[in-house]
Amino acid sequence: MGRQINICHLYPDQLNLYGDRGNMLALSCRARWRGIGLRIIPVEPGDQINFEQCDLLFMGGGQDSDQLLVAADLKKRQADLRRTIEAGMPVFAVCGSYQLLGNYYTAVSGEKIGGLGILDLYTEAGDKRLIGNAVISCGLWQPARTLVGFENHAGKTYCGPGLQPLGTVLKGFGNNGSDQKEGAVYKNVIGTYLHGSLLPKNPWLADHLLVKALEYRGQDSFLSELDDTTEIKAHHAAVYLARSWRHRMGSTRV
Amino acid sequence: MNATHKETMRTGGLTNRLFQVKKTGAIMVGKTLIAATRLLGRGGTTLPGRMAIRIKADLTEHLAAQLNQGTLVVTGTNGKTTTTALIRNILKAAGYSYIHNQSGSNMSWGVASALVASTSWRGTINADWALLEADEGAFPKIVQDTCPFVVMVTNIFRDQLDRFGEIDRIQDAIDRGLQLQPAGGFQVVNADDPSLISLGGAEGKKRLTYGLELDLPEDNFKNTGRDTKTCPLCKKKLVYKRIYFAHLGHYYCPSCSFRRPLPDVQLTGLKINADGTSRLEIKASGSQICINSPLPGTYNYYNLLAALTCALALQVPESIAVDALETANPSFGRMENFTVDNRELVMALIKNPVGANEVLRTILNKAEKATLLVAINDKIADGTDVSWLWDVDFEQLAAGSDLLSTTFASGLRAWDMAVRFKYAGLDQRLIQVDENSGNALRRSLQATPPGGKLYILPTYTAMLEIRRHLNQMGYGRPYWEER
Repeated sequence: MGRQINICHLYPDQLNLYGDRGNMLALSCRARWRGIGLRIIPVEPGDQINFEQCDLLFMGGGQDSDQLLVAADLKKRQADLRRTIEAGMPVFAVCGSYQLLGNYYTAVSGEKIGGLGILDLYTEAGDKRLIGNAVISCGLWQPARTLVGFENHAGKTYCGPGLQPLGTVLKGFGNNGSDQKEGAVYKNVIGTYLHGSLLPKNPWLADHLLVKALEYRGQDSFLSELDDTTEIKAHHAAVYLARSWRHRMGSTRV
Repeated sequence: MNATHKETMRTGGLTNRLFQVKKTGAIMVGKTLIAATRLLGRGGTTLPGRMAIRIKADLTEHLAAQLNQGTLVVTGTNGKTTTTALIRNILKAAGYSYIHNQSGSNMSWGVASALVASTSWRGTINADWALLEADEGAFPKIVQDTCPFVVMVTNIFRDQLDRFGEIDRIQDAIDRGLQLQPAGGFQVVNADDPSLISLGGAEGKKRLTYGLELDLPEDNFKNTGRDTKTCPLCKKKLVYKRIYFAHLGHYYCPSCSFRRPLPDVQLTGLKINADGTSRLEIKASGSQICINSPLPGTYNYYNLLAALTCALALQVPESIAVDALETANPSFGRMENFTVDNRELVMALIKNPVGANEVLRTILNKAEKATLLVAINDKIADGTDVSWLWDVDFEQLAAGSDLLSTTFASGLRAWDMAVRFKYAGLDQRLIQVDENSGNALRRSLQATPPGGKLYILPTYTAMLEIRRHLNQMGYGRPYWEER
């Protein structure tokens, strides 16, 4: 039997704000091009998740109103989720759901909304949204590689001392706009504010997730080389634009 | 409103004289800048207004107060420009004079530019109506400044999230604008969009709704760009009996009383004529109206209904409105046609998933072989976040790939677009990338055989670039010119 990856896509109807579909497309195309079967299992609020079947959990970003609904639903699965994450299940969480994996979120009103407590971080509502192109240097590889995307968040996230960031900010705001850190990595969980969509333009991160998903199920994790000329050109073009002073002048709202 | 303003202007006093000086100054600066930017070959739709309101912050308010009849404001994610163009035709046919802000310059400074351009150097305006297209974010401010008699909201889709943050905020802005409209006016609202129907602000104002009453095949692309799916009152998932596209359709909440109202203006029948035009049968306030329109696509049926509903609010005779709607051609960059060197060039602006999906579907429905050029910029007017490209169903193109010859990706985000094409499953050998929109235009014209068709799908600023190139080649008219 050929290799097979099952991705659970949490709440695609609620958490689908910033082109999260692109991340799903990147994973499924890149698996298919290598002859690896990939199934995406959408999970809706109230559905049972069979964590035994899930090789990779994907959670996107949502609007505040939807996010509260989702948080309430996810809390019911907290214990299961924690257990499987400790056992090494890969998770990729973008924006709102990245915040949700943390300890808590403090709203503008001062109200504290509890998170899932999986990542040792917390988020505070900021007074202005952090919006724009972002480039980070990411240490998942040696030597480090760049990741480029777009961020758009009002929350400022602060990681606890033991938590690894996903990367160092080269351009943009990152977690909070002040400590030059972006995202977080814990076991095989990756949380980030970057979308754009992130995976198509950063194919090495897509492949990293595929490898982790294969390893988690004890499958052969060798990935054959693909022709990534277009993706790499898009990556470099996006990095160039993010760093270009002229482009920022024309595409930044003050 | 009118009377009070005029009163203030007539009475003397230092403040008023100062006010006059500042106002005249603002108008003069604005008018000079408009003349200057046009000399430079630009549209002059942003800077002059910006400078004028910097000098006199409430300039728009004072100019709008001079209108003989009042103001009409159109907002919403998609269809603003076409709906505005349709209403313009109606106003013209009904013998009204009007001022309008063209070419999508729909922020508050765009409105100021338009008003200043039509003001005499002495500061007087002589027009019946100001017909204004308003960006959703600028809508509350524009309503506050112009006190419109009619406000129209077409729909709310996912659009330019880099700016608004989230869809909830767009909804808030529109809600605020509706509240700010003075009593006695009309609100024209799309009944098929559940995110609009819940918005308040109708007190003392008459609400007119329009919608489709058709049996159409359901939307195939339910997963892309559907934003409002929960009941605005109780947050339960809405149930649809019919979906026309995205989240527009016949909805109701299974657990509370929220449901689609029966529209005042209904599209009850639809036929595509032999010449490709659409025959629309419409039921409005008891009478049956028939319109033959050259505008293609479901989204244009909504635009036609919106304009007709506005005509009813203005009490324009039915026959005049129908005539005006039937002769309306596609507006600025909305399926606009050019003939270049014996090649048919069709330009259709794309800016968000729902609009782009509808454009793609309309193109593929034509089922003729064509070249395609998609030009994506990420400047402020385009939306600086290009992740929306991933919510567009470009997979449709792969499915209909026998219709496409070469496909070009261009603009600042040409490579993002090329990656999108690749993951949509388009044949890699047919994809050409050229970031320079002028080169891409020339190359795509070369790739189109004589007698053939070239579709250009640009974002807003990419469209302005391409239009400039076309003008230089001697085709089309400059975008600031009155049509």
